[in-house]
Amino acid sequence: MHFLELSQVNFHYPKQEKLALDNINLEIEQKSITAVIGPNGSGKTTLSKVMIGVFPATGGKILLQGDPVSELSLAEIGRSIGYVFQNPDLQLFCGTVAEEIGFGLINRGCEPDRVKEKVDFYLDYFQLAEYRNAFPLHLSQGEKQRVAIASVLAAEPEFLILDEPTIGLDTYRKKILEGYLQKIACSGRGMVLISHDMSFVNRLADRVIQMENGHIVDDGDWKGNNGYDA
Amino acid sequence: MTLDPRTKMVIVICLSTLALIYNTPERLLQLLIVTVLLLLLFRIDIRSVWVYLKRFLQLMLVVFIIQCFFTRGGEVLLSLGSVELISSQGFLTGASLVLRIIVVISAALILTTFSSRDFILGLVQWKVPYELAFMVTIAMRFLPLFRDEFVNVVTAVQLRGVELKQVSWGKKIELFRCLLFPVVFGALLKAQQLAVAMESRGFRAYPRRTYLRRLDFILVDYAVMLIFVTVTIILIVY
Amino acid sequence: MDAVTVKDLSYQYWSEGPWVLKNINFQVARGEMLVITGLSGCGKSTLCYCLSGIAGHRRDGVMQGQVLVNGKDVQELRAASLALEAGMVFQDPDTQLFSSSVEDEIAFGPENICLPPGDIRARVDNVLDLLGISSLMEANPYHLSGGEKHLVALAAVLALDPPVLILDEVMSRLDKQGVQRVADVLKRLRAAGKTIIAVEHRLETVTFADQLMVLAKGTLARLGPIETILADQEFLAAQHLTD
Repeated sequence: MHFLELSQVNFHYPKQEKLALDNINLEIEQKSITAVIGPNGSGKTTLSKVMIGVFPATGGKILLQGDPVSELSLAEIGRSIGYVFQNPDLQLFCGTVAEEIGFGLINRGCEPDRVKEKVDFYLDYFQLAEYRNAFPLHLSQGEKQRVAIASVLAAEPEFLILDEPTIGLDTYRKKILEGYLQKIACSGRGMVLISHDMSFVNRLADRVIQMENGHIVDDGDWKGNNGYDA
Repeated sequence: MTLDPRTKMVIVICLSTLALIYNTPERLLQLLIVTVLLLLLFRIDIRSVWVYLKRFLQLMLVVFIIQCFFTRGGEVLLSLGSVELISSQGFLTGASLVLRIIVVISAALILTTFSSRDFILGLVQWKVPYELAFMVTIAMRFLPLFRDEFVNVVTAVQLRGVELKQVSWGKKIELFRCLLFPVVFGALLKAQQLAVAMESRGFRAYPRRTYLRRLDFILVDYAVMLIFVTVTIILIVY
Repeated sequence: MDAVTVKDLSYQYWSEGPWVLKNINFQVARGEMLVITGLSGCGKSTLCYCLSGIAGHRRDGVMQGQVLVNGKDVQELRAASLALEAGMVFQDPDTQLFSSSVEDEIAFGPENICLPPGDIRARVDNVLDLLGISSLMEANPYHLSGGEKHLVALAAVLALDPPVLILDEVMSRLDKQGVQRVADVLKRLRAAGKTIIAVEHRLETVTFADQLMVLAKGTLARLGPIETILADQEFLAAQHLTD
C-alpha cells in the first residue's frame, strides 16, 4: 500500500471551466522526499491542497494509507500529514509564538511539562526564543514563516507537506531548515516539498515531479542529477 | 440584455420596495414571478438562487413558525383541545414574510451581474464622491475577506488535529473565544495593509480621478428605468 | 542630485519599542540599482517602508533622521503624493491586490493620477506585455498563484511610472522564467534612468545590480559595489550569507 495514492484526479475552481488539475496519477511513499516543481500557476499548490482534502477533488480518487481522503475529516488527515501553507499569515491564529508552537501538542493531550520542553526546543532550533511572547502576526515575513514551520513540525506528524517553505527565509535559516528536514527524513518520515528553489530541491529530494498547466509532465528519480530546469 | 449597472440597481430598489410594502401572499407571489422572469432575462442561473436561499433557510423557517404561532385572527387551522395553535391569519402572515425574504434575496442577485468596477463607475458618474464609492466596494470585498480569514483559521486549526465535530459545545466556545482575537486582529491588520497599498499607488492624490472606462447611459436605460419607477409608484399608490 | 538620500535614519514601531533601524546613512544615485540583503528580521522591510514614506506616516512609529526621495523629504509629503516619487511592491502579494480583474488592478494607479483613458489603456497594455502576463488581463487576482500575484503587483506599480522603484522580495515567488523576465525589465528601466532598490535573499538572481547593502540587526554592516562584496567570501560567511 502506498502512503498517498491519487488516481485520475481532476480539479477545477468553482465558477471556472479550466481544469486546474488534469488527470493526475501519482503514488507517494511514506519514506521519501518528493519535490513538486513547475512554473508559476502550474497547479503545484492546488495539487497539495487537493491531496489533503482542503479542496475536494472534482473527479478521481485519493487514498491516504488506503482510506479515501474524501471520507476523512481534516483533523484525521492533519494527524497523519502536517501541512505548511505558502502564506504564513493564513495559518497563524494564536496570541503568542509559544502558544502557536504548542497548540498541536496540547490538542493531542501532551503533558504540560512535555509541551514546554518541546516548545523550548523548537523555539531554540528555529531561533525564535526572543519572540516567545510576541504576537505572531507582528513578526517579519521570514520570522512568521519559521513560526508556521515550527508549529507544524512540533506536532511531529508522520508525513509533511511544505508549500514553498523557503520563501522569505535567508540563506542561513534555509540551511537550518534543510538540516532539520534531513533529520526528519533519516528518522523514516517523508515529505512533499513544493518549491522552485532548485538548490534547495537539489539537496533534499529523492524524486522530482514537474508540473505544467495542471499536468504532471515529468516524474523521476533525482539524486545526483543537477541539470534540471525549474 | 445588457443594461447599465445603475439601471439594474434601480430595478433592485423597485423590487425590494414593493416586497416591503406588499403584505398579502398573492401579491408577493406575483412579485416573485416577475423577479424570477427578470432573473431569467438577465441570464442568471436559477439554481444559483437556491444556493443563496439555502443559507437563509433556517432563518425563514424560524420566522415562519413564530408568525404562525403568535399571530391571531381568522379561522383556526390547528388546535389542541381548546387551545388555538395556528390561525389562518398567522399562516398567511408567516407565508408573506418568507416570500418577502425570497423576493429580496433573488432581486439582490441582479447585482451580481456586474463587477465592482461597474458599481464604482455607476456611482461616480452619478456624482457620488469617489472615496465613498471605493469605500463601499472595499467594504463589500472586506466581508468575504473576513469570512475567508475565518475559513482559513478553521482549516488550519483542524489540520493541527482538532476534531471540531467531536468537541463538546463548551470546549468549542472556548476555542472560538481564543481564536476570535487573532482572527479579528489579523483581518484588521490586513485591512490596514490594503489601505497602505492603495495610498502608495496614489489613491486620493488628487480631489478628482479619471477612469479607464466609462458607462454610457443609453435610451434603453432611460426607458427601462422610467417604466420601473413609474410602475412601482403606481402600484404603491394604487 | 541623488535619487535617494538617507541621513541618520533610525526607526521604532512604537515609542519604547526596540530600534529596528539604527543610524543608517547612504545615497543612491539616479539610474542605479541597489540590492539590500541580510538575515530575516534585520530591518530590510522596515527600511523599504521608510524609503517609500509609509513608515513615517504610521501613527505609532517613531522616525528619526531624514529620507529624501528626489530631493523631497518623505515626512513632509502626503502619503498619496509619494506615489509619484517612489513606487513600492510589498512582500506579501495578498494584501496589495483589491480589484476584481487584473486590468482594473493595473489601471487603478494611472486613474488616481488623472491620466486620460487613452493613456491609461496604453500603460496597462504596455506593462502587461513587458511582464508577459497579457493572458491574465481578465483574471481575478484573487484566484492567481503566488508568483502571478506578485507579477500583477509589480505591473500595477510600473504603470504609475515612478522615478524610484522599491521592491521587497519580488523575485522570491517567481519561477526561473519570471525571474529572468523581471531581471530584463529592471535592466531596461535602469538604462532609462530609473532608480531601483530591491530587497533580495537569493543574490544570484540580482548580480546585475550596482550596489549591495548588507544589514545586520538594524545597522548597516556594509555597502559597496556588488561584485566586490560578493567576492569577499570571508565577510559573507561571517554574516551567514553564503549558500
